[in-house]
Amino acid sequence: MSTNITIKIGGEAGQGIQTVGDLLSLVCQKTGLYVMAINDFESRIRGGHSFMQLRISDQPILAPYHQVHLLVALDEKTVQLHKSELADGGLILMEGTGQAAGSALQIPITELAMQAGGKITANIVAAGACLSLLGAPFEIYKNVLTDHFAKKGPEAIEKNLKAATLGYEAVKGASFQWVFEWKPESPKGSLIDGAKAVALGALAADCRMAAFYPMSPATGILSHLEMFSDHFPLVVEQAEDEIAAINMIIGASFAGVRAMTATSGGGFCLMVEALGFAAMSENPIVIVNTQRPGPATGLPTRTAQADLLFTIYASQDEFPRFVFAPATPTEAFDVMIRAFHLADKYQVPSLVLSDQYLTDSIFMTEKPLKAPEKIERFIASDADLSNPSDYKRYALTPSGISPRALPCMGKALVIGIGNEHGEYGHGSEAAENRVNMANKRNGKIHAMSKDMNPPKACYGDSETLIVAWGSSQGAVIEAVSMLRKEGMNVGCLNFTDIWPLPMEETISALSKAKRFFVVEGNQTAQFASLIRQQTGLTHSGTILKYDGRPFYPIEIADGVKNLVR
Amino acid sequence: MLSLKDYQSDIDIKWCPGCGNFGILAAMKDALVNMNIAPEKLLIISGIGQAANTPHYLKCNMFHTLHGRALSIATGAKIANHDLTVVLNCGDGDCYGEGGNHFISTVRRNPDLTLLVHNNKVYGLTKGQASPTSDLGMVTKMQHHGVISESFSPLTVALALGAGFVARGFSGDEKHLSQLIQEGIKHKGLSLIDIMQPCVSFNTVNTFAWYKSRAYYLEEANHDSGNFEKALELSRQWGDRIPVGILYKKEKPHFTGRIHSLKAGSLISRTYNSAKLEQFLARI
Repeated sequence: MSTNITIKIGGEAGQGIQTVGDLLSLVCQKTGLYVMAINDFESRIRGGHSFMQLRISDQPILAPYHQVHLLVALDEKTVQLHKSELADGGLILMEGTGQAAGSALQIPITELAMQAGGKITANIVAAGACLSLLGAPFEIYKNVLTDHFAKKGPEAIEKNLKAATLGYEAVKGASFQWVFEWKPESPKGSLIDGAKAVALGALAADCRMAAFYPMSPATGILSHLEMFSDHFPLVVEQAEDEIAAINMIIGASFAGVRAMTATSGGGFCLMVEALGFAAMSENPIVIVNTQRPGPATGLPTRTAQADLLFTIYASQDEFPRFVFAPATPTEAFDVMIRAFHLADKYQVPSLVLSDQYLTDSIFMTEKPLKAPEKIERFIASDADLSNPSDYKRYALTPSGISPRALPCMGKALVIGIGNEHGEYGHGSEAAENRVNMANKRNGKIHAMSKDMNPPKACYGDSETLIVAWGSSQGAVIEAVSMLRKEGMNVGCLNFTDIWPLPMEETISALSKAKRFFVVEGNQTAQFASLIRQQTGLTHSGTILKYDGRPFYPIEIADGVKNLVR
Repeated sequence: MLSLKDYQSDIDIKWCPGCGNFGILAAMKDALVNMNIAPEKLLIISGIGQAANTPHYLKCNMFHTLHGRALSIATGAKIANHDLTVVLNCGDGDCYGEGGNHFISTVRRNPDLTLLVHNNKVYGLTKGQASPTSDLGMVTKMQHHGVISESFSPLTVALALGAGFVARGFSGDEKHLSQLIQEGIKHKGLSLIDIMQPCVSFNTVNTFAWYKSRAYYLEEANHDSGNFEKALELSRQWGDRIPVGILYKKEKPHFTGRIHSLKAGSLISRTYNSAKLEQFLARI
């Protein structure tokens, strides 16, 4: 990479850190640069410490970077907490009137903001100074600001432009080691966070009903959906608890529309009873579990990949389900469309594992988001049934999939049920029937696994393979290129389609390597256990992170070097 | 015209002989036939328990769901297709115990559902433990020193939450109950009909005779069902005299009628518009 700059903007919640991040991201995007931003905050509305960390490059970015080139400190705490992350020659931009000394560059941020029209514009001052240090043309910042404040009126635009100018001018003459020449090009893609991508994917999949109970970090998904509901046939209902939320979507699905819920681990715990009910009554639903660390309330605003086995095994007894774990917003969009499609096709629950990192981080998506031309619903009308007056909702078929009619849409009387049942849907406790019905439901798994995409290999013929799933995939790909530059024979194998595990492809891809290591955001290497359990193949080592923060590529690269040694 | 035969099911009925549920089943059939609602135009959603078996003994579209969750599932079904006629069969433990939170929130939402609660004041299917509506002091095998919690008053709670249709029925009077069910189905919004239903196996206190000697009809007592304060007072009346009939009735805006995105028609009736989506996605 010729340009690889990381800017960290830190301060208290309520200081407008996210706005600075958004504005800088937009300026980069509009000039044809690649950018990604992680959002790190505490579970509080005011005070404390939070930051946004932006990485800017002229090459696609897959993960955050471990070193900071420019630290923008909106409070003193930011300096103390993050100065050790500075790269050699890195700069701290902070409040003050002193002379530039060592790595610190002081400007009177608050005073400049007051001059512009209020303390509230301090973040705009800081962003101006930031862009000035990077050598960005002011004109682009001006345009971005004008758009951003357009809704608030000309007065707000004027005030903020003044703040921007004062910040921009205040650091004129200061030197920043990584300043580069900006050659504005057309944007490489759109900026999108995982929450929005999941919501757009659901919309494109023709999801018409979403019910939820607010829970970080999943709530953003529902806020987006709620905004779409003014323009599309979609109802978003805030339920009294997660139990009601999932049962509402099961009711909506039974009545015939695609429906979803999104929550985090604790909320998913409450949904488990109804997950089994959806499976038993064979009503397709989609559940997004946006993972955060810890049992109980844990760390509400942090990231983790520790709900994998729970998601695969949640509920009593045995039934088939799909589990997906997208790596990026682009993948999340596509995964949502497939999750709904496959849930309908097999009349089973689809679960999508996201996490705080994927949900709250801004990524650049280069591929345009495409909606399917048609939605296949796999629903039987009277005309599709040989004898609608003798309709069997749970008819035994070779595939295990029974024709699915909808209630009150024809002559066929639909009987749905959560008790074990015969073909018509009335309760049955007969031993033979129980076996037939369990076989029918679980018999779908073989065909379901054929619809799973194989893992994506990158230098798949390498001696050592790094295996990852979900949002850790990006950092692993960058780690591979770092290691290969050092001459190591390393590749990776990344999983987005987790369950049913695409067995043949997994076995053949892993068998080629001399050894494989597994990278996961949990403490017990859950995916490594799953691979061993399913394929009999055992990993040679693991790289695990469970401090609530996303992987940096360097951590994986160092981990691999240690393991190989 | 429909006849009772149209609702005749050939499923073996699992209730005990003499169960109060038989009266409710008969009243439902009578009401549905009287209103000329065809089986294929009706959706019954039930929870779990003896009451929840009821729709199997009719012939219609039905969803026999989870303990306590029927109201949430029915709300979801109404959101998807608000043109459905939806009736619920739930028990007292089901609706007021396990599903208590959903009961509270559903009354507040006021979806157009007819909720029949078979209130036998005991858990029947699990063999006679106390339920939320068991009277204070009632002795059961599990509460052998007597129930020590105050009895839950569903009618009072529903009124306090702003319910628009609050009634009490008696399974021992099928004709009267049928009338209540018909009124309930006609009412736009949530209609709560709490039904006094004797459990002949596990409730030796609240028997047919016990109810019969205490029940009096609000129609005959010239009760004004538009009088909220009076309804609230009646909802607390229990003991020597028990009011039966419509305590309170008032049309209020109902849930799906208030949802902005349903003004253009039910969700299920709308078409997928790929071109509009493409335009929307292109602007992201």
